[in-house]
Amino acid sequence: MTTGFQGIPAAIDLIHILDTIEVPIVFVRRDFVIACFNKAAADGLGLSAADVGRTCRDVSVLARLPRLEQQCRQVIADGVEWRADFRDGDRWFVVRISPCSIGDRPISGTVLTFTNVTAFRASTDQAIYEREFTKAILNTVADPLVVVSPDLRIQSGNRAFYTTFSVSRDETQGVPLDEVGNGAFAFRTLRAQFEEMLAGRHAFQPVEVEHVFPRKGQRTLILGAHPLSVPGHSQRRVLVTFQDITARKQAEAAKDLRSEKELRRSEAFLTEGQRLSLTGTFSWKVATDEITWSEQLYRIYEFEVGMPVTLELIRTRVHPEDVSLLEKMKMVDQARGGSNDFEWQYRLLMPDHSIKYMHAVAHATRDRDGQLEYIAAVQDVTVRRISEEALTRARTELAHVARATTLGTLTASIAHEVNQPLSGIITNASTCLRMLDADPPNVDGARETVRRTIRDADRASDVITRLRALFGRKSTTTESLDLNEATREVIALSLSELQGSGVILRADLGDDLPLVTGDRVQLQQVILNLLRNAADAMSGIDDRPKQLVIRTERVDDDGVCLSVQDAGVGFAPEDIDRMFDAFYTTKSGGMGIGLSVSRSIIERHRGRLWAARNDDQGATFAFSIPCAPDTKPRPAVIEPEHAMGKP
Amino acid sequence: MAKRSLVSVVDDDESVRESLPDLLREFGFEAKAFASAEEFLASGYLEQTRCLILDIAMPGMSGQDLQEELTRRRQKIPIVFITATGDETVRPLVLERGAVECLFKPFSEKALLGALNAALSVA
Repeated sequence: MTTGFQGIPAAIDLIHILDTIEVPIVFVRRDFVIACFNKAAADGLGLSAADVGRTCRDVSVLARLPRLEQQCRQVIADGVEWRADFRDGDRWFVVRISPCSIGDRPISGTVLTFTNVTAFRASTDQAIYEREFTKAILNTVADPLVVVSPDLRIQSGNRAFYTTFSVSRDETQGVPLDEVGNGAFAFRTLRAQFEEMLAGRHAFQPVEVEHVFPRKGQRTLILGAHPLSVPGHSQRRVLVTFQDITARKQAEAAKDLRSEKELRRSEAFLTEGQRLSLTGTFSWKVATDEITWSEQLYRIYEFEVGMPVTLELIRTRVHPEDVSLLEKMKMVDQARGGSNDFEWQYRLLMPDHSIKYMHAVAHATRDRDGQLEYIAAVQDVTVRRISEEALTRARTELAHVARATTLGTLTASIAHEVNQPLSGIITNASTCLRMLDADPPNVDGARETVRRTIRDADRASDVITRLRALFGRKSTTTESLDLNEATREVIALSLSELQGSGVILRADLGDDLPLVTGDRVQLQQVILNLLRNAADAMSGIDDRPKQLVIRTERVDDDGVCLSVQDAGVGFAPEDIDRMFDAFYTTKSGGMGIGLSVSRSIIERHRGRLWAARNDDQGATFAFSIPCAPDTKPRPAVIEPEHAMGKP
Repeated sequence: MAKRSLVSVVDDDESVRESLPDLLREFGFEAKAFASAEEFLASGYLEQTRCLILDIAMPGMSGQDLQEELTRRRQKIPIVFITATGDETVRPLVLERGAVECLFKPFSEKALLGALNAALSVA
């Protein structure tokens, strides 16, 4: 040990102990001379062994202590300890000067201890800084904040708290929160909630409160509370927050009002639109028969608006012949699945026996539980339908008149042209016979009449030749075509006509149908003819559905077959051979030309057309034609027929 | 044998004008053929004609026009109409106006004889 308690010989153990203390300790004699110091003083204050016996005034670190000498004298004189803060560079010390006496001797000097408080000073400064910083933040927050004790007594608030509630810090200190603002926050559950929160059972549920402020008037506040606890402190506090949501509430209310207005307006638009377009809408949950109707639909069906709608009620209006459509809607989704947009037409039979024509478009969806629901728009197309029907009737009549006129004119013209020479032939032949029967026979006269007979016969033959030139078949145009597509076009053309006759058409068109070669228009005429025949055959049927099935399929690898199956009156077995004769008909208004022409068209496509009686009801007419050769279809030239006479 | 009765034929069709008079002569009548109503009216044979075989459809004056004209002139010549159009509606019309018969071409010898007999019995 290099340093020691000079002049204190009995204290070896004490010196040892002092050297282990990290706090620098310096003994100063009465005469202000350093008597001794411990190891920490050497290390911490830079004292050296040479400093022992020197006056403090000459030791730099002690010389920097202001008024040290006077203080030491004072301590010796008073016998009372003195302490002071001392800054040495960036270090802070608490210097303590204590009177020192050894044994029974009077005070012989002072003991200086230097406690380094640099770290403590730094953390205190930091704490002060943090506190000021937090205070600044709290005071700039616009929302009132207040810290209360667990029994709700106010401890401190931020500036916004005092200004908002128009109270001062002093008058609220220690006042229970539920007495502030005329008891605005004295609601029953507040204290209970605090207890729950502080006991750690429930978080505080923010509460919306109304409060009338002296200057601001009525405001809506959300009161929140958060427990504040400092580790090591048993005392708990609660931060109470007030959030002014008045402006937000007003904005929301305005927005609600606005969107409600907009909603009302678009509803009004919709209603007016439905009224003008005579369109109603409905939704139908099939499983529960829950039906929702728009106002316009009530008007169309002529039910009192708001009346509960049931299927039974709807049935009382739907035309008896169209009721089956309702049943079909129930089934359709089970059968198909997938996309289910479809449209159909039906009629309403009103109590006054008038008929309304409806056009409906429905979209089938599945709700969350997988239940079928329809959303549909229904338009009253009666006016349109009536004018369409009038137009169709006029067109049909016109076509009929045109055809009758043409045929009548044609017939008269043909009759006249042919009857003239025939008349001559008969008259001449009669004359000839008479001349030959005479006695003696007038052979010259007879020869003349025979010559005239031949001339007249030639003349009749010329008439026929001219007619054929006029109506003779031209060469047909051929192309590769998709029979399904051609069929769909025909269906599209005749659908409304078929629907009008109450026919339920089912198209069963085969997949992967090969192309065929032929005259598209002619084949379509055949298909149309078969469809019309089928519909006509069912016109008088009322004891069963007028079911019509049109089907296409591939046959024998190299052919395509189209069949039309009806549930009509059918035909007698003995009629089957005559049916395709040119003028054979079972129809009262028919021309009878259809099937024979159809057959000749199909035969020119190298195919065949036939008829068969169905097992149950009706008949099936079908044709098959060969498919187009190879993948690269060559137009097959179909020659015009020359068999009927001179070219 | 009494003087043969004159049967006049008015038809625009030449084969009729050639063949019908021959047959009428075979029946034992006198026969004259005219290509139009106008030609007949101008011929001067009106008075002698005991029976008129008259085509309906002709250019210019039709058979019915001639029937009217004869009625107007009070020439009561029995008329047998012949027509090639096959229009059935014309027959009751002309019979109502006094025609003896209306034959549709081609007509048989028997039908023609029947009509002629009816015509001559009227006269």
